[in-house]
Amino acid sequence: MSWAIFSSSFIAAAVEWVEAYTIVLAVSLTIGWRAALGAVGAAAVSLVGLTAATGGVLALGAGLQWIQLLIGVFLLLFGIRWLAKAVARGAGLVAQHDEEEEFASTRALLKTADGRAAWLVAYKGVLLEGLEVWLIVVALGIGAAGMISSAGGAIAAIVPVVLVGAYLRQPLSRVPENAMKFVVGAMIVAFGTFWSLEALGGSEIWPIGASALIALAFFYILGGLLAIAVLRPRATQGVTA
Amino acid sequence: MTALLKTLFGDLRNCSVVGLLIIAEAAMIRGGWGESAPFVVPVLTLSGICWLARSRRSTTRTGPL
Repeated sequence: MSWAIFSSSFIAAAVEWVEAYTIVLAVSLTIGWRAALGAVGAAAVSLVGLTAATGGVLALGAGLQWIQLLIGVFLLLFGIRWLAKAVARGAGLVAQHDEEEEFASTRALLKTADGRAAWLVAYKGVLLEGLEVWLIVVALGIGAAGMISSAGGAIAAIVPVVLVGAYLRQPLSRVPENAMKFVVGAMIVAFGTFWSLEALGGSEIWPIGASALIALAFFYILGGLLAIAVLRPRATQGVTA
Repeated sequence: MTALLKTLFGDLRNCSVVGLLIIAEAAMIRGGWGESAPFVVPVLTLSGICWLARSRRSTTRTGPL
């Protein structure tokens, strides 16, 4: 066991797992944990199948850019729609959801097309992050006979990420629906912006690397709040229901 | 099928905003403005979100997100 490889893989994979878990957590607040974990399982199966089908780092590495762009575009399509709806509701341009009515229809949501779209967001997010973890494991393990250390570090990194995420889940579940979807929409748009631009411009396009995700999320949250404040006076002339 | 596609990709305005964003990203990178893209693209994205939110007033009925 090489602890240097283990710790490097642990830290690098933890960043990817946090990104994957963030998406799954966000989606689970909408469609529930069972469906979200189903998406995780499906992504894991797809990852294994993809790895077996393509085989080799180069084959997967060459295609990762296009997968990243595809997923980035999909996240933008989904996240922008969510955030725009949340901003419109926050500004009073359209009526707020009735929380109790929404709660009653939560189970039915899984069967709706929006539920499927949210499921796909979790699926594709985990698939992309899983591919990146796989590349990290292979890159750190090759040439140093440290595949076990590398894979061990990546797998061990799941534990703290899931524990912290589980701790945060309960407080998040009490957040009002529109506020929650506002934040989730901002996060998904942040991921979509990050991945689409990185796919087109390379990993060096972001000056502060993966930390740009946090900055983007804050930017969209603050920008969305500003948009609500600016659009609110316009809504006084009439609200659609 | 139409409902599924609309759910996955949104309406025409949503697709237009995302399409223009990707075109802007590609144009900036190919045009040598890649260093500015991380600062410009989020602003363009937020502008698109504001436009979509504002345009919902005249056309949107409330429903599940």
